[in-house]
Amino acid sequence: MATNPPTMPPAMLEALGRLWTKFLPEIENRLALLEAAVRSLESGSLSGDERESAHQAAHKLAGVLGTFGLHRGTELARQAELVFAEERTASAGELSSWVSELRLLIDRRK
Amino acid sequence: MPRRILIIDDEDDIREVAALSLETVAGWDVIVASSGAQGLERAAEHQPDAILLDVMMPGMDGPTTFRELRKNPATAKIPVLLLTAKVQGPDQRRFADLGVEAILTKPFDPLTLASQMEKVLGWD
Repeated sequence: MATNPPTMPPAMLEALGRLWTKFLPEIENRLALLEAAVRSLESGSLSGDERESAHQAAHKLAGVLGTFGLHRGTELARQAELVFAEERTASAGELSSWVSELRLLIDRRK
Repeated sequence: MPRRILIIDDEDDIREVAALSLETVAGWDVIVASSGAQGLERAAEHQPDAILLDVMMPGMDGPTTFRELRKNPATAKIPVLLLTAKVQGPDQRRFADLGVEAILTKPFDPLTLASQMEKVLGWD
């Protein structure tokens, strides 16, 4: 017989909601770093430092968004992480669309 | 007596969600450290039943922290689980070669993190 997946106790849901609100500014800072790096990439002025900052920011977003239930956010951030780490290639347009979708997902949860 | 877990992670959000999860779902005592160096001190001082260790941290990273834990007789036998957002095959193999108890991936599910740990540590 299949078992139902465990459900989140209301107290924990509330606590997670509080943590989301608490850490939203940091999450948005990471997203802003990614957005700035995409703009630099599009204009051909992405520096090595900026690429590394974007890589770190994407890595952290990939690690945390799914923990707050934003699994699509983790997928998008992980793709961006691989591109900024130069472990996969993508066009600037593709990267830009991932980061825009990430912005939408995060804005919707505000 | 509740289990005592040390979480070593430089990211405040991950540390707090993991602590909330382990305290609320499993009723464990949680100690936190925000760097590898602080983690080494807290591990020796508090003798946790297990350590949840982030991989990518500034300064002393997770693998280096793990090796330092193993060098110190006071912390050498504490089970260590790596918690990482690095999910690519080569990274996972490199981490497995370290000799940690298990590798757990970020993002984790706050509802099942404790049971994942129990399973790999044989506590279930």
